[in-house]
Amino acid sequence: MSTMDSSADRQRRKAGVSSLGRLLPYAKPYVWQFALVLVLVVIFNASTVMQPYLVKVAIDSDISTKHPNYHGVLVIALIYVGVVIIGVAANFAQTVLLQNAGQNVIRTIRLSLFSHIERQAMRFFDTRAVGRLVTNVSNDTETVSQFFTNFFLSLIRDGLSIIMIVVAMFELNGRIALYCMVLIPIIFAISFGFRGQLRRAYQTTRTRLSNVNAFLAENLAGMRIIQIFHQEERQSRAFEELNESHRQANVYEYRTSVWFNRAFEVLGNIAVAAVVWMGGGAVLKHWIAFGTLYAFIRYIQQFFQPINAMTQQWNTLQSSMVAADRIGQVLAVQPEIVDAPEPVKVNPENVRGRIEFHHVTFGYQPEQPVLRDINFVIEPGQFVGVVGATGAGKSSVMSLLTRFYEPQAGDITVDGISIRAYAQADLHRIIGIVQQDVSLFTGTVADNIRLFREDISDAKVHEAAEIVGADALIRRLPNGYATQLYGKGSNLSAGERQLISFARIVALNPRILILDEATASLDSQTEELVQRGLHTVAEARTTMVIAHRLSTIRRADNILVLDKGRLVEQGTHEQLVAASGLYAMLDAESGVEAGTRDTRPL
Amino acid sequence: MSAKTLMRQFLSENKWAYVISILAIIISNFINVQFPHILGRFTNALEAHRLNLHDVLVYAILLFVVGVVYVQFYAIGQYRNGKLGREFEYLLRRRLFAHWEVLSTEYFRHKSIGDLLNHAMNDIRQVREALSGGLNILTNAVFLLLATLIMTFTTVSMKLTVVSMIPLLFIPLFIVWFGPLIRTSSRQVQEALSDMSDLTEESLSSIRLIKATANEDVETERFRAKVDHIVHQQLTLFRRSATFQAFIPTMSSISFAIALLYGGYLTLSHQIQLGAFVAFTLYIGQLVQPLQQIGFVINNFQRASASLTRLQVLLDERPSITDCEQPIELGHVRGEIEVNLPSFQYADGQVPALRDIRFHLMPGQTLGIVGRTGSGKTTLVNLLPRIFDPPAGTIFLDGHDIRDIRLEALRQSIAYVPQDGFLFSTSVGENISFGDANASREQIEEAAKAAQVYDDIASFPDGFDTVIGERGVTLSGGQRQRTAIARAFLKSAPILILDDSLSAVDMRTEKRIIEELEKVRQHKTTLIIAHRLSAVRHADLILVLEHGEIVERGTHDELIRLDGIYAKTYHMQQQGEALRA
Repeated sequence: MSTMDSSADRQRRKAGVSSLGRLLPYAKPYVWQFALVLVLVVIFNASTVMQPYLVKVAIDSDISTKHPNYHGVLVIALIYVGVVIIGVAANFAQTVLLQNAGQNVIRTIRLSLFSHIERQAMRFFDTRAVGRLVTNVSNDTETVSQFFTNFFLSLIRDGLSIIMIVVAMFELNGRIALYCMVLIPIIFAISFGFRGQLRRAYQTTRTRLSNVNAFLAENLAGMRIIQIFHQEERQSRAFEELNESHRQANVYEYRTSVWFNRAFEVLGNIAVAAVVWMGGGAVLKHWIAFGTLYAFIRYIQQFFQPINAMTQQWNTLQSSMVAADRIGQVLAVQPEIVDAPEPVKVNPENVRGRIEFHHVTFGYQPEQPVLRDINFVIEPGQFVGVVGATGAGKSSVMSLLTRFYEPQAGDITVDGISIRAYAQADLHRIIGIVQQDVSLFTGTVADNIRLFREDISDAKVHEAAEIVGADALIRRLPNGYATQLYGKGSNLSAGERQLISFARIVALNPRILILDEATASLDSQTEELVQRGLHTVAEARTTMVIAHRLSTIRRADNILVLDKGRLVEQGTHEQLVAASGLYAMLDAESGVEAGTRDTRPL
Repeated sequence: MSAKTLMRQFLSENKWAYVISILAIIISNFINVQFPHILGRFTNALEAHRLNLHDVLVYAILLFVVGVVYVQFYAIGQYRNGKLGREFEYLLRRRLFAHWEVLSTEYFRHKSIGDLLNHAMNDIRQVREALSGGLNILTNAVFLLLATLIMTFTTVSMKLTVVSMIPLLFIPLFIVWFGPLIRTSSRQVQEALSDMSDLTEESLSSIRLIKATANEDVETERFRAKVDHIVHQQLTLFRRSATFQAFIPTMSSISFAIALLYGGYLTLSHQIQLGAFVAFTLYIGQLVQPLQQIGFVINNFQRASASLTRLQVLLDERPSITDCEQPIELGHVRGEIEVNLPSFQYADGQVPALRDIRFHLMPGQTLGIVGRTGSGKTTLVNLLPRIFDPPAGTIFLDGHDIRDIRLEALRQSIAYVPQDGFLFSTSVGENISFGDANASREQIEEAAKAAQVYDDIASFPDGFDTVIGERGVTLSGGQRQRTAIARAFLKSAPILILDDSLSAVDMRTEKRIIEELEKVRQHKTTLIIAHRLSAVRHADLILVLEHGEIVERGTHDELIRLDGIYAKTYHMQQQGEALRA
């Protein structure tokens, strides 16, 4: 890892401390569960510390005495089993309880993160990769959950365990216990020293392994190219390099971990030898009984495990902080577009559908307007076409009407009320859009049409499909409406996907419909079907078509012609042709027959 | 060479290395068991008041030496085995990649890359784990158990050992039974997690639609269901692993209680000494560990053996396209192509993909192939470099059946531009010179200029050294295609195939590339698949394919006169372009 990276890492960790703090309130409802876990951990630890003590008692007062007492041994053995069972039960309950609390905390974080992201305005998504956000929701939360479970548990269990062992030792004999305390800083020092090295070795190995993985993935995908260009040897050599460098890192990592674990073991054995030396002398001088020495030996052996475990959790803490910081950054973004404090109450079904753009100016970057001073009115029930070259601003008109973005100047009204006054959810129930690239979800065809809404019945789904002419087509699929669609609908043709998106919009029944170059990918037969269906749908509502081919909008009540962000002409087809402006030119170029047939390449 | 042979060979080549490391572990085990014994003797001496301070020091030093030496031996064995296992991992991966390189496209058509990667990563790791960690643990478990038993039998009491061990014997049984349950659970957790990731990705990729349909709440509900499922699976897993973690200490505590009771009785009745009793309580701990390990190792070996079998199947796959017995070496290739193909069917196909395809191309001629998606265009051009194998005696290059030509020589004579413009994530320059590692910078730039991608590349942060995919440099579809064309130009082979490689390029650039093509490839044979007819207009022969058959053929002018599918499409495209421009 380069120094630059690690300093950035440090920065993130620093920010992570406060981020973790900000996530703590999510744990608040579970505070009693965490408290109970604490109690259970104390019980478990006490049972662990009790065990050597019980044997000590058996040795000192029942076995190795002048008056051996077998009954005493029996009692102690029974207590011993009892103590272990209580400890085991406490540990079991603790694990289940803690995980339950931890998982629920993460569940809440995930839900609020997800709905927070969904509430963001489109600009948020324009500047962020989806993959990054998915990582935030799935991996980062998973890492943070380690904090609420593993780290929390280790802190109390291992911390307490060290304390309780120390206390037990001092109870037995202060002087020997004091000598043993020399060990604590040594163990911590070795542990931390090695941990850092181990972590770096592990990261190097992991990076190199993922290089191997990435190389293989790419070369398997491009195997045909390798073979046709006859570069097998060259790629083999390239692979060899990655493979070899991974092997070296891998062996080094293993060696470091062997070293680490064995060093710890040696240290443990040395500690026992030291206790024997000090404690043996003490027994000789009758300062302590033999059983006490025995207990010391067992305690010193028990000592290493919690310290080792705690240093391990240090890594967990660090990665949790980095992850918490990333989550915090997303949660800190306030949605750019929010509903008015008291939005107008409206029944979407009763909207008439009058649209007005009033001096609207808009740019994705404020200094680069893509729409300038746009004014137009669409009367309820009208069928309006929007035409213009790529980049003329056609799609931006749609994005503004749906309030995906806010214009820099001007206002847009629906039925005379500014769209800012509507609740966004209402606005989106009033306006429906059909996009060129169809989004499909993993689920059945019916679910894709009703968008998983429970309030849309099967009958309604079928009816919608019938209206757009998709019914027959869907019934031909292997399981009809119950056919499972996979990753991005790859088992459907472009035309079929498009039809489903039409059916979807019909099922939702918005009062205003926007079609964004929607029929571009249909073959002529399907397109005819769709066109017919759409005309039925359009009849009862205000419809805006962002046209790719002029034929689609020839019969429109009004045609808006955009050029470089300005509305340059509007009128019916006949009016615009008569005006012999930009539209007339486009129309002439497109030819008489254009668009009535499939213009898709063969 | 198969995976098992490879493993056997590796083991026999390194047999002395393995003997040494296993011996080291065995030695460490036998030293290790001295530790409780010495403590026991120390106890006895102490009890009998036979000790002075000097003796105590001697015992402490003895313990110190034993403690350090056995760890040393174990570390040596452990590290050496681990290193050997990692070497085998490396060899296996190398072998696998080399194997994949000789397999034919037919094979990759049926495999998902994810599955193949899974073999290369997880199966190989699993085998390595068995060969390093598994072997260490197995050796350690068997010999530590043996050494401990020998010690307890000889120095403590056989009866005490046997009686105390009974509960411990359940540990390996329990692990073998319960381990897989935990693994199933943990797999289900992983699946639930990836389900949630998938839904998140799907949902966020469709965010426009979700917003436009005011569907945020429905999506949140769907997400909630996935998250709840994760919680459920996680808790099942934790309950299971908590049970697992509870079982082992319970069993060993019962063992310990028996040791306490029975051992205490033996001590009280003076059948054994206190030292032996103390040593035995320590030995119990040493018995628990190997018995626990034996359970894990059995599970580990089961998984590794399944992985090895999968790798075996993978490595046993034979390439379906190979050289014939005595392949023809091509000298100078003129580039005359004759196709006389009655029918071609994919191995897994139900119906022939191509039927009755016959044409003859003279060196230097250009062939255009057009037709709808799925009409067999790509299949046809894939037969020429034998990406898929045509039937014998159907396709000839310079008069030789291509199946008789040495595969290497055949492919050497063909430059190919794939549909998707596949590029590697190396630098742009390296991609263009992929066919010839020794190409000079001038050659690379020239090819880029001919493919009309030079200006694009020059505008990248590091020009030709820009690494694709790094620092946010992503190429547009058109740039990819043109880079792939430059790569094919640089190869300068007698035959060039463009498989719909101009689809993402705009009209004007397409025209310039075609002009360049005509200039550069005057005396070379070129095959062009296109959707846009303007890309094949200049061809000497144009084939129109439909359902795997040639339905129209001729030059552009002839086909226009014919007034069939080609002519209709041509007119429509001319009109369509007008609006798009």
